[in-house]
Amino acid sequence: MPPSELALAPLQEWMQAVVTHPGDVYEAAEAAASDVDAIVLPSKTLQPIQRLGIYHGMYMLRMVEAMEADYAAVAHFLGEHAFGHLVEGYVQRFPSRSYTFNRLGDKLPGYVADSTIKQRTFLYDLARLELAMTQVFDEAEAEPLPADAIGTVPPESIEAIRFTPIPALRLLAFRYDANEAFQSFREGGQIRPRRGKSWLAVHRRDYSVYRTPLSQEAFTFLGSLVSGETIGSAIMTFRRRFRRLPEQQELFTWFRDWSAEGLFAAIAITE
Amino acid sequence: MNRFHLPDLGVGVGLRTVHYSHILGTQPSVDWFEALSENYLDTGGRPRFVLEKIAEQYPIVLHGVSMSIGGTDPIDFDYLRKLKALAATVNARWVSDHLCWTGVSGRNVHDLLPMPYNEESLRHTAERVKIVSDFLECPLVIENPSSYVEFASSTMTEWDFLAALAQESDCGLLLDVNNIYVSSFNHSFDPNVYVDAIPADRVVQVHLAGHTNHGTHIIDTHNDFVIDEVWQLYARACARTGNVSTLMEWDADIPDFETVHAEARKAEAFRTVSSGVLPAVADEVAYASV
Repeated sequence: MPPSELALAPLQEWMQAVVTHPGDVYEAAEAAASDVDAIVLPSKTLQPIQRLGIYHGMYMLRMVEAMEADYAAVAHFLGEHAFGHLVEGYVQRFPSRSYTFNRLGDKLPGYVADSTIKQRTFLYDLARLELAMTQVFDEAEAEPLPADAIGTVPPESIEAIRFTPIPALRLLAFRYDANEAFQSFREGGQIRPRRGKSWLAVHRRDYSVYRTPLSQEAFTFLGSLVSGETIGSAIMTFRRRFRRLPEQQELFTWFRDWSAEGLFAAIAITE
Repeated sequence: MNRFHLPDLGVGVGLRTVHYSHILGTQPSVDWFEALSENYLDTGGRPRFVLEKIAEQYPIVLHGVSMSIGGTDPIDFDYLRKLKALAATVNARWVSDHLCWTGVSGRNVHDLLPMPYNEESLRHTAERVKIVSDFLECPLVIENPSSYVEFASSTMTEWDFLAALAQESDCGLLLDVNNIYVSSFNHSFDPNVYVDAIPADRVVQVHLAGHTNHGTHIIDTHNDFVIDEVWQLYARACARTGNVSTLMEWDADIPDFETVHAEARKAEAFRTVSSGVLPAVADEVAYASV
């Protein structure tokens, strides 16, 4: 069959291969191994390859724009050229397979970690923070637990409480202070990677996304609760981890803050 | 009135994120909003909350970019299920998407890629439009795209293809007069012929937008005011369809809401068909500007 008579399916396969090829449109057409002039007509001003090049050029622009929307701090830190190069490689390996751009960037942190890019450990942390923010932004809305909910549980049942976290909550542990770096970006400052372990809760309340720094102890305890442990079990996990029991005042402060921030949607008493 | 008895909603504006606060805060006097379907399908966050709030006060139409109605991958029924549910939630007056394909082999290029206009494409697309309309339980409304290539395998014009598709699949049409102008420039055809050939009783909506003229070709960027030639095409379309739901799209370099709304409201000057008076416009848009 001459190329001009390509059936619909092979024509679409061919055009997609050209449009998404990482090289320029001439390399793309050569790799697709069909005669462009036999498939696409010229216009009065553009040759077939130039017309095809419009779609080819717009493809990567769209991918970079979509990824920059989710990873604005990573893009700012890398600069336009390096970020564009990162996205080119990323979408070759993880092209969009969804009707929405929303989840296009889900695998970027892992892709960065596996890459040879400079500062990749810091960028991995920063990308995980930005990914968590997009996930929390889109999660289902849930009514938070009333602040006094724990107070209604009889004292003898407190240790048997199991919490259901709101869907819009992510807990993150970093090797760099990614939150400080992101805040600096938000305020228009320079992003300076600062090594040092840090812990963060990313959550949403009234349709706004918040970043709440946590101590390692609070992160561990909250992580246990979010993973489905009862308060009693979380205390034992804490004891194994830190070789001490959480202090009463610590527990009071944590639950007061987490309730105020609306991190829990429900409680149940485990029999 | 169109054959589907879908109402003339008046002059609307495309709902965009940057205008959320203004709309919620001031409740502007807009006839209706068009929401981009995919932006609201997989989110339980602020976009969905805002859309549902706005739908309480304004008529909503859902407009998609990822249905890939001309694509050769299987129809994505998971997408359609979510789309149908969203349409029910916001009481969408109708659901539209483009005459195009957006990817194959499970991929989405996120572009409105052009179809070859021939019998095979027509049969294929008409069958899919019928399946989707049956699933959504309402006639799908199909928009003419802007395009930058023409295929050697095309055997008919875009307007003949669109008319035949509408006839065979019994779909509605969203006539984008800016897209007609863009494609007429890129492919050197007379846009007046296109407008005149469209089955007017199937047109349920018209799109207006700006574009970017690169001299050798025009890109449909939705980043500017509507040019006079496109207004003339709009007037020509209105003269054939009667007053029809009209919407202004502005997707890049988006100005404040009042500017977009004011641009949309220029359409009101052309919506005087019922009184039998049309504003003075050139009879025909100058053909083949290249």
